[in-house]
Amino acid sequence: MGAPLVLDNVQSLPFIGPELTLGAGILLLLVWELVAHGARKRVGLLAIMFATLGAAGAQAAFALAHDAPAVSLFGGLLASDGFAHVFRVLFAFVTAVVALYAAPVRADDALPGKRSTGEMYLLLLTVALGLSFMAMSRHLLMIYLSIEIVSVISFVLAAFSIDDKKSSEGALKYVIYGGVASGIMLYGMSWLYGATQSLALPEIGARVAAMSAAQHGVPPVVFLATVCMLAGFGYKISAAPFHMWTPDVYEGAPTPVTAFLSVGPKAAGFAVLVRFFAEALRATGSLHASPWPLVAGVLAMLTMTVGNLSAIGQDNVKRMLAYSSIAHAGYMLLGFAVFSTTGTAAIVFYALTYCLMNLGAFLVVLALAEQNGGDESVGAFRGLGTRAPVLAACMAVFLFSLTGLPPFAGFVGKFYLFAALVRGGGNFTWLVATVGVLNSVVSLFYYARVLRSMYLTPAGASDAPVVVARRHTATAIALAVPTVALGVYWAPLYDLVARTVGMVP
Amino acid sequence: MPEFTGPVQHVELSTTLWLIALLPLLGSVTNAIFGRRLQKSHFGHDLAHKLHIGSLGVTLVAVGAMLAAFALSLWHVAKLLALPEAHRFLFCHAWEMVRIGSVDFGFDFALDPLSSVMILIITGVGTLIHVYAAAYMHHDGAYWRFFAYLNLFVFSMLLLVLGDGFMVMFFGWEGVGLCSYLLIGFWYDDYAKASAGMKAFVTNRVGDWGFVTGLMLLFWALGGAWLEGGSYQPDNLPRLAAVAVESGEAEHGGHEAGGEHGAVTAKAHDADGDDAVGHHAKAAHPQGNGTFDFTVLPGAKVYVDGALAGISPLTGKSLHAGRHTLRVVPGGGTDDLEIPSFSVEAGGETMVSLIGPALSFRSLHDQLVVRDAAGHHTVREGLQSKKAWGGVGVITLACLCLFLGATGKSAQIPLFVWLPDAMAGPTPVSALIHAATMVTAGVYMIARLSWLFALSPVASGVVALVGALTALFAATIGLYQYDIKKVLAYSTVSQLGFMFIGVGVGAYWAGVFHLMTHAFFKACLFLGSGSVIHGMHAVVHGEAAAQDMRKMGGLKRVMPITSRTYFVACLAITAAPFPLFAGFWSKDEILWRAFTTENIALVPGALIYAIGLAAAACTSFYMWRSYYLTFEGEHALPKIATEVHESPAAITWVLVVLAALSTVAGVLFGFSTHLLGGHGEPMLEEWLSPVLQHAVVSFREGGLGLEYALMALSVGLAIASWALAKKRYGAGRPADWAAREEGLPLFDAIQHKYWVDEAYGAAIIGPILKLRLVLADLDKWAIDGIVNGAGVVGRAAAWTSGAIDHHLVDGAVNFVADRTFAAGERLRTVQTGRIQSYLYGLVGGVLFFACLGYFLGR
Repeated sequence: MGAPLVLDNVQSLPFIGPELTLGAGILLLLVWELVAHGARKRVGLLAIMFATLGAAGAQAAFALAHDAPAVSLFGGLLASDGFAHVFRVLFAFVTAVVALYAAPVRADDALPGKRSTGEMYLLLLTVALGLSFMAMSRHLLMIYLSIEIVSVISFVLAAFSIDDKKSSEGALKYVIYGGVASGIMLYGMSWLYGATQSLALPEIGARVAAMSAAQHGVPPVVFLATVCMLAGFGYKISAAPFHMWTPDVYEGAPTPVTAFLSVGPKAAGFAVLVRFFAEALRATGSLHASPWPLVAGVLAMLTMTVGNLSAIGQDNVKRMLAYSSIAHAGYMLLGFAVFSTTGTAAIVFYALTYCLMNLGAFLVVLALAEQNGGDESVGAFRGLGTRAPVLAACMAVFLFSLTGLPPFAGFVGKFYLFAALVRGGGNFTWLVATVGVLNSVVSLFYYARVLRSMYLTPAGASDAPVVVARRHTATAIALAVPTVALGVYWAPLYDLVARTVGMVP
Repeated sequence: MPEFTGPVQHVELSTTLWLIALLPLLGSVTNAIFGRRLQKSHFGHDLAHKLHIGSLGVTLVAVGAMLAAFALSLWHVAKLLALPEAHRFLFCHAWEMVRIGSVDFGFDFALDPLSSVMILIITGVGTLIHVYAAAYMHHDGAYWRFFAYLNLFVFSMLLLVLGDGFMVMFFGWEGVGLCSYLLIGFWYDDYAKASAGMKAFVTNRVGDWGFVTGLMLLFWALGGAWLEGGSYQPDNLPRLAAVAVESGEAEHGGHEAGGEHGAVTAKAHDADGDDAVGHHAKAAHPQGNGTFDFTVLPGAKVYVDGALAGISPLTGKSLHAGRHTLRVVPGGGTDDLEIPSFSVEAGGETMVSLIGPALSFRSLHDQLVVRDAAGHHTVREGLQSKKAWGGVGVITLACLCLFLGATGKSAQIPLFVWLPDAMAGPTPVSALIHAATMVTAGVYMIARLSWLFALSPVASGVVALVGALTALFAATIGLYQYDIKKVLAYSTVSQLGFMFIGVGVGAYWAGVFHLMTHAFFKACLFLGSGSVIHGMHAVVHGEAAAQDMRKMGGLKRVMPITSRTYFVACLAITAAPFPLFAGFWSKDEILWRAFTTENIALVPGALIYAIGLAAAACTSFYMWRSYYLTFEGEHALPKIATEVHESPAAITWVLVVLAALSTVAGVLFGFSTHLLGGHGEPMLEEWLSPVLQHAVVSFREGGLGLEYALMALSVGLAIASWALAKKRYGAGRPADWAAREEGLPLFDAIQHKYWVDEAYGAAIIGPILKLRLVLADLDKWAIDGIVNGAGVVGRAAAWTSGAIDHHLVDGAVNFVADRTFAAGERLRTVQTGRIQSYLYGLVGGVLFFACLGYFLGR
């Protein structure tokens, strides 16, 4: 409570331990990639990767567990608070899981396109660093820089399979689209800077509040600036109508990268979005005070509807999951639209559950495609219930959870999102909630297609058991178990999230 | 906020209570996973053979889990005994499930005198029946599956009685229903048996609908039952109230209260030693301190005067006398709760109660007994004043709905039809589930909610009347059954009716007493019949033949122990001619209370009494008929003399123990010096009084003379019926006894169980099946049309969206891609291309939101 503690550059260093760890890991990985060879190289890569992520995640988790006081770092560039810590832990976890997906099985295994695993790990760690900064930024410059770190590296990751036309094509679109979106966002930032003469979110917040009070409403210049910035944020979380890059990039990119993009940058985008609206705009859930609940509500409704309706017709499971990830961004926007701490807690909780189930679903696609020569269509899942019972059961868990059925984590997450929304009160929130519920129903349709294919359609010609790499099965189980467990016993996690989502005042 | 006082429930914390329920679950899981392998292995094969039981491994797991649960139950009941009367309430918070808004649902367990009676019956009789089943089922191929189910049943039943709230009880309620279904249809390859299981399950769904509806009504009704500054707050949120505890001990003088206080304070020092820093100076003067308990919302953080006092449940915290503030952070999605100011009196005890919608029995109970500063039962009066649908009290409505749930589980009119069919299950199942435990769940629920049912004389009257009618109705059906298990099944329905008379007329303890004695003697009877059936398989083939009393006769000579225990149990259930066996005590108490009750509004107590008396007379007749036909007289089949033998020790010993319990339990728990002119109360009544004392009930003073006269009347009638049964079916019965029976009036109707099943079939099941055809047609034409219409619309939307994706997005992409890649891998040429459409979307989105702001003018 009271005035925020602002630390200078030297004082701040201990608070960015996780980021310093990631930086050290990047350098180490770079050197190892150059000097080591053979089996030692593979072991070393894995060791450096997981040690770095483990150490970074553990530091953030430690801060979280000890309710470390919220402070402002580097004279107000970054925030070290519970909200950031939760995301830092999440990013370390997601990166580690994706690294596991991309891990080479044998020493001479190269990733698609003859690129080395070390290269991918290096890029992944760098993105993780950018993601952490995104979650911590409370300064327009830092927001822009961290988003660009993540974007630029994501372009490279999306194009990782250099021989794959789809991959290259998607990446190119990503670059162009990302560039324009960043440009529009930067344009909005310049407006905001012009109007408030500050880049620091708290100061912007104070000035905007003063201007709004003087004009009895949000000034048009702030509104326009925010809408422009929304293009940048919306592109990061793939919210409609800023989502069009998503299907192509997700389909084209190597599956581990897709899994990563659908979870990591999306969650970070939400972190920036929530922090920006809370600190710079001091948005409240009241529809009369500001246009933000309306904008956010419309954004949520559009995103859910576009994502779900487009997913229906998809035959490629990866592309279907891409659209489904758009829909899930829409669900998370439900919690955003009320601008309350319960809403924020619900978003964070949903992001945690979503990361489990979505990573899991992509893993199953990956494991299956590895076995059948890259077939990612719904047909590839035929008879999986008998051909690979464990994997199919895990996939069923992920899909049910994504649909939001009890007793799975997705249901609980969605429940809290809707609860937060309805508690916001007012007719508009009911409208948004209704659209959300209808969308959940639609989503069952395309998830159920995969389920039907796995369990109800006979395998046909190829009913031989699918032999999946053991580590994939193990990872799938490791993700499915918490998906079920959090659907039954989630109180401690939710309490932790609800307690720690506080930001630097 | 007004100050409150009231006799709210003290809570003693326990960390081990949940283990009682866990043990049978572990047994079940172990047998479910390893049972098949255990059964196939040769582990303990010789010993098992010698003992005439099935696989030793499976048996050890199942019976071991039961024995351990029984021992643990005994230990917890002993702990309960050691506590002063008002403190007999062990509470254990296992884990929190959902807490959002006003819904608070955690896995909380509670043991009070009422549930202690239940767990002793469940684990005690349960253990005996497990031992019995080890011998009874020893040939069965799915021996392991049977025990996995049976242990799972015990687990569910323990959840049902140990739950400290409706939700855990409901988990148990559904769990026992599931296990009952699984075990009735245990031999599922027999279609009749499988469908009997289905019938039980479906019938119970109707009851469950009532249960859930009643629960929701109650929850909803309590939402606004709170007066703040004289007005209702209809927001359905719980509030907190500090209640000064009125303890029973205070009346007994200072000695006990002082000792109590000292004990509690001492515990406070162990528990939160360093929390009470600010109060240490005061703690030196205990008379300046009061104790503070916070036991609602388990897991919540409790702040007293701004400092963290601990995590709920929190008992015996010492606070200095005076005013304090309280803030509670429940966590989950529930807002913080506050009491801005409450007072603690020196030497007094202050507890915090939850007021408003609650799922926990204790919270429900506590808020109904608290009084505000003016001496009004604010919440109770608020609840009582709520009317719905033309002036029916909400309490009455909720109680009736809950009773509907009870009629399903406890096989009362109109939902009793499943129980006789449930006899298709193996006999130990009939004894455990369909006689001793599960079917008494409804009785238990009403006793548990006694303070609620007592508030509604109308609902209580309905309970008593339905109970009485069921008792008579089922007893008459029992008169001419030939299947020995069917006789016992109808007898069970009838005896459950007696229990409902008890809890209906306000004699809750008597209902529970009969529940207990019935558990002993009916288990003994069922297991005795099982022993007979087991033996009869040597001479006849098929389940139906082995249970047919017309094929038995004279079994006394070949199965002496079985026949003697059956005889004792018959004495216990019929109370004739020696009015000392268990059933007499409980049944007579129920009938006496029915005669003198003043709690059942419109229904005259004497009518209930008369019906009950008639049912008791019938009981005596059909029980002795079954005894004589089975055990006395000539062998119906000559081979019986040589080929039927007494059952193995595992079976006979269990019978002997149960027979002994049937003999002594009545006197032990039901005798009071009051019958000899003294003032004592029966032991069980005293034991249960902390639970049941808040039910406000009253009985007319009848006088000892009248009580003896009515007792003599019921015993006399029972003896007369016995004499009649002996004359017709005794050792010297005429050979054509069956034919003679058929000539009796009403025989046809009774034989066909008054055509109730047929009536249900014609009135409900048939129309539903017909409706199904109509609906199928409707479905084909109307619903499908709507669905297809919706599908078309959905498809159109999807098509549009897909078309955008396909033509605009993919088209652009493919177009770009085709051009580029066809031209050779000159990626650099794809600079502007059709990515434009994406970017149009992007810019269009920005414009759209900008316009949104513009037109809204903000």
